[in-house]
Amino acid sequence: MLGTLALAQDWTSYGKNDLGWRYSELDQINTNTVSRLTPQWMYQTNTPGKNETTPLVFDGMMYVTGPSNNAWALDAVTGRPIWSYKKALPANVNLCCGQVNRGFARRASTLYKVNLEGTLVALDAKSGTQLWESTLEDYKKGYSATSAPLVVKNLVVTGMAGAEYGTRGFIDAYDADTGKRAWRVYTVAEGGPSWSADSWKRGGGSTWITGTYDPALNLIYWGTGNPGPDMDGDVRRGDNLYTCSLIAIDADTGKIKWHFQFTPHDVHDWDAVGDPVLTDLTIEGRPVKAVIQANRNGFFYALDRTNGKVLLTKAYTRVTWADGVGPDGRPVPIAGQDPTEEGNRTCPGMGGGHNWQATAYSPQTGLFYFTSTERCMLFYKTKQEFKEGQWYQASTIGRDEPGNGRVDAIDPKTGKLAWFFETVTSPTGGVLATAGGLVFVGDAEGYLIALDAKTGKPVWRFQTGGTIIAPPISYALNGRQYIAVAAGQTMITFGLPKL
Amino acid sequence: VRLATLFLIATLCAAQDAAESGRLTFRILCAPCHGIHANGGRGPDLTLGTYSAGDQDADLFRVISRGVPGTEMAAYAGRVSDDEIRQLVAYIRSVGHAQTAIKGNVATGEQIFWNKGGCGQCHRVGTKGSSLGPDLTRVGRQRSIAYLTASLLKPDADVTPGYATITVVTRDGKKIVGVERNFDDFSAQFVDLSGKYYSFLREDVTSMTREPRSLMPSTYGKMLSESEVNDLVAYLNSLRGAR
Repeated sequence: MLGTLALAQDWTSYGKNDLGWRYSELDQINTNTVSRLTPQWMYQTNTPGKNETTPLVFDGMMYVTGPSNNAWALDAVTGRPIWSYKKALPANVNLCCGQVNRGFARRASTLYKVNLEGTLVALDAKSGTQLWESTLEDYKKGYSATSAPLVVKNLVVTGMAGAEYGTRGFIDAYDADTGKRAWRVYTVAEGGPSWSADSWKRGGGSTWITGTYDPALNLIYWGTGNPGPDMDGDVRRGDNLYTCSLIAIDADTGKIKWHFQFTPHDVHDWDAVGDPVLTDLTIEGRPVKAVIQANRNGFFYALDRTNGKVLLTKAYTRVTWADGVGPDGRPVPIAGQDPTEEGNRTCPGMGGGHNWQATAYSPQTGLFYFTSTERCMLFYKTKQEFKEGQWYQASTIGRDEPGNGRVDAIDPKTGKLAWFFETVTSPTGGVLATAGGLVFVGDAEGYLIALDAKTGKPVWRFQTGGTIIAPPISYALNGRQYIAVAAGQTMITFGLPKL
Repeated sequence: VRLATLFLIATLCAAQDAAESGRLTFRILCAPCHGIHANGGRGPDLTLGTYSAGDQDADLFRVISRGVPGTEMAAYAGRVSDDEIRQLVAYIRSVGHAQTAIKGNVATGEQIFWNKGGCGQCHRVGTKGSSLGPDLTRVGRQRSIAYLTASLLKPDADVTPGYATITVVTRDGKKIVGVERNFDDFSAQFVDLSGKYYSFLREDVTSMTREPRSLMPSTYGKMLSESEVNDLVAYLNSLRGAR
């Protein structure tokens, strides 16, 4: 088996395993038993805001991060709170998209999380006591942090946010014991032909979704966000490396081994932050070590993760800006698709075909699961003067057109759609695949849904009463399997009735 | 005199600069609702030179800064500086031009609304009318003249979210159509034109669809004369809700 699979009953990192599969080996809840799945407990956080967390579960506890620098340790069987954490947020922290957080990372009995003001903290899992705090970068300059860190050996690796504020993106690694920074990789190349003049200094490329790690290759894979300013490409001529890219980083040195840019010179805010999922595939008879991603620009990609060469691409939603992707991995652009002063309609819209929501890969079905949207949007370009720490998007979009959504199951060996489940609005939640032959996903209207992983047929649902933005997880304790998800302001856990 | 002229020119130039800066901010923050040229959309038309919350610069500043409670107009204090709000005001002033946009007669429009137009069969104003379609008690604050006219003549052009058309075909082949109350992945709730409420689970019916069209008749352009349309729009524009 590839990589190190965490103990089946626990959930100890953002993507479940280093490879980012979000696949639970538990099968007590399966296509035969799922109809009996019922809520076991709820924990009301009483904290307003969007909850995007992936909870961690180990040693009988569930560790949940929430909006506005909050976190809770809950008893995983009863949901009763054991300790809580809150860090007061400084005034005037600039955030594009809410006071969100996407989860803890774990190493032994220490938890790691970022706070919104661009800090990384280590907490004792038993008590919630803070062990150390490190500052990534100055929030007054527009830097912030929202994603779950990734533990790689003795390092805590974290991304940052703030590409809409003229920041310069990076990925940092900190010593897990001391909080001392071990290395930093800038995701915006300093100068060079891909950035006109000094535009790289505020070039964006934020790193706001957790990457993955291949222990055999000792490479960390991390997606990068849009260049800044988002929609006025005139002030940053060139490809704008390494924005809208996947970069492979040597875990020990922090050097970039290779990069692959999905959208050169992006002007539609198509961050390449979808989970980079690592899996070994046989493509056209040839076994390959692949990294797969449903990119926001509308194409599914499989790359060779040893060298970043493109193996396979396929549009999974309506795409009007490119006529496919060339053999070199470069999209074949269609003229006249860039934002204009008067507005220009392009598909997909700003949120892309698939945005950041967690994806899943099941070794049982061999399918890759993710939510997608079919939508177009009017993109406007606006000249904007850069002021440090202030909104720097140089653009706007037309009011959202209503978009239907889907949960897609793609065969990553071919890029072909195996099935889809249609949703009435653009999907908000992430997905979980399980060995019970199920795919769990939450929707905008508050349903937690179980789909048959082979067919996409809905086999169970529960109305939670709150929009689900977070991905579900699964864990087991005392011989019982649970499914857990944050819905609205509430953490809910489901299980089968006790026999 | 020369100094005074120079001062005047400098002042005019500064005002132009402020308006241009305001235009750029407007495009980013305000255009999604008020239109890329400030001539309205889901938010009011700002080129009319008269504003529901008051016509002084201070009124515009207050509205941008604090928002308008009970409407979709958010408060922007904290998101933009006071200077930027002043620039926005300068821009709005620069595109505002006095015009006699209201061609109709409010009192006549009110008669048409409740009688010939039959609007009250689906819409509410205050405590009068029906709640099938959107409540129009404050619609004069919420929508521009152009938007109101377009909505009257082409109801499908922009359907208010939450008021789409739901069609359910039952297992026995019966087709039921109504105005959305809720629509999700597994169920639909809606009210038909007689006011009857329905709730269906998707698994219990043959089909269940939501379309972004309105059940409002698209025949008002034929049913009403141009002057009657103007009267009706004048009445709608006068609906400002309880003070």
